[in-house]
Amino acid sequence: MNWYGIRAIYRFEMARFFRSIVQSIVSPVLSTSLYFVVFGAAIGSRIQEVEGVSYGAFIVPGLIMLSVLTQSLQNASFGIYFPKFIGTIYEILSAPVSALEIVIGYVGAAATKSLLIGSIILVTSFFFVDITIQHPFWMLAFLVLTCVSFSLLGFIIGIWAKSFEQLNLVPLLVVTPLVFLGGSFYSISMLPPIWQSISLFNPVLYLVSGFRWAFFGMSDVPVAASLFAITTFSAVCLGIVWWIFKSGYRLKT
Amino acid sequence: MSAIVQVRDLQKTYDGGFEALKRVNLDIEEGEILALLGPNGAGKTTLISTICGITTPTSGSISVGGHDVIDDFRRARRLVGLVPQEINLEPFEFVMNTVRFSRGLFGKGRNDAYLEQILKDLSLWDKRGGRIAELSGGMKRRVLIAKALSHEPRVLFLDEPTAGVDVELRKDMWQLVERLRKDGVTIILTTHYIEEAEAIADRVGVINKGEILLIEDKAALMSRMGQKEMRIELTESIETVPESLGDYDLVRSNDGRVLTYAYQTTSTRTGITSLLKDLQAAGIGLRDVQTSQSSLEDIFVNLVKESAK
Ligand SMILES: Nc1ncnc2c1ncn2[C@@H]1O[C@H](COP(=O)(O)OP(=O)(O)O)[C@@H](O)[C@H]1O
Ligand SMILES: [Mg+2]
Repeated sequence: MNWYGIRAIYRFEMARFFRSIVQSIVSPVLSTSLYFVVFGAAIGSRIQEVEGVSYGAFIVPGLIMLSVLTQSLQNASFGIYFPKFIGTIYEILSAPVSALEIVIGYVGAAATKSLLIGSIILVTSFFFVDITIQHPFWMLAFLVLTCVSFSLLGFIIGIWAKSFEQLNLVPLLVVTPLVFLGGSFYSISMLPPIWQSISLFNPVLYLVSGFRWAFFGMSDVPVAASLFAITTFSAVCLGIVWWIFKSGYRLKT
Repeated sequence: MSAIVQVRDLQKTYDGGFEALKRVNLDIEEGEILALLGPNGAGKTTLISTICGITTPTSGSISVGGHDVIDDFRRARRLVGLVPQEINLEPFEFVMNTVRFSRGLFGKGRNDAYLEQILKDLSLWDKRGGRIAELSGGMKRRVLIAKALSHEPRVLFLDEPTAGVDVELRKDMWQLVERLRKDGVTIILTTHYIEEAEAIADRVGVINKGEILLIEDKAALMSRMGQKEMRIELTESIETVPESLGDYDLVRSNDGRVLTYAYQTTSTRTGITSLLKDLQAAGIGLRDVQTSQSSLEDIFVNLVKESAK
């Protein structure tokens, strides 16, 4: 293993994050606070509790997931797209680093960033609502797995994208709707039966549900199903990344 | 001694179906400076990119230091530094950081003393804390060179290092190449400036349309391919070249005072002796005779012309 190589990529990517540390932190904190104000105050006045949890607390796992998913996609896709776009990718391609090492560097950095942001949002939410986390270990496990798998997906998008429009397309058209429809801000038991069934095809539902279970011990789908879903998703992403490097897809001519 | 870079039957067809390299064979000896000379689109960058792992070969094999560039890419690539043709740098990065990054990427531990030396050699030391975006074009190219040297490569590829740079940087670059040669670094540079090849290379390869037309010691190349010209100044001007001298294809200057004779130094008979005899027989008096050797440029133009036929 070329550990120096991994470290170089990781540090380089983290430096990009810390250069814009203020934006990196202020914007998620601000948007989370706004969510609390809008959802918590406006909707919370109508829905006081969901299965024994105050609505304000209920949305915390969903909020964290929403940010972590978008941040992972954005950071990872931008991290690899940018060197492709400005041409500095030549150096990565000509260096003695393997595909695995490149992925560890880029995806590791992107996942770290979203993990940091997720933690910041969690801390922020403590100021608004009372939360006790029932299964801290599983909470962390779901969080880390989500950061890693969606950073992998972001990495794939970054390699696939040929323009900045394409780079934003998938998060905008696919992921954000899935997150909003994935029970981030409600329990699917509140939906009409037909929509409940449709929601079961939404992969994000399994993430949010599992994550929420780690907080409050309640879930829309069984925890095992959530774990299975996120593990399968990570495996599929890993498979695609492996194929990308094997074939040189959109990386080499 | 086996070559440090070996290219065997290398062929590259791009996705569009364009054949950029046609069965290229090339041996680069350790410690030499090889200039690859060729017009735009000849395949120079493709060749370098394939050796460095940026482009995948369609067929053929390449090894660096005896290591196959695909099967044993780690060992092969550790030996190689690449200065690309395009200025590809992250504008918001800091000079020192980006050079450090390159060293780490190539698997070397931090060594700021060594990097300091490189930056000083390249007159970049004062700029080490500055952002890339603040540098001039020439300075950016120096940063690219510093990055390529950061991991102490044994083989350095310079892809058109002096295209569009000022005279000062070009001189600095040549000096740097000379220093690196003393350290035993093998250097391959591509250029379409013939003076550059002439000034610093040990060997010159000429590449056109994806084929290496020739590769030879610079001096040998120039003398083998060299055409010479003899300028004959006459004591009195002549109106026409006498018919008895018709075989020599002499060129008469406008004022009729100078005749020019072109000949190949490589042919067994240059024809000089008989020309001088025949001039005397025709009653033409000579004031002075000068000869001049054709430059690499003429050789190059001839070769490329021939290959176009
Ligand atoms: N990615 C590519 N796809 C298709 N054709 C390419 C690509 N890169 C280069 N070429 C073509 O290959 C030929 C050789 O290009 P190149 O190696 O860059 O030449 P040089 O460096 O000698 O100017 C050119 O005709 C160029 O148009
Ligand atoms: Mg080129």
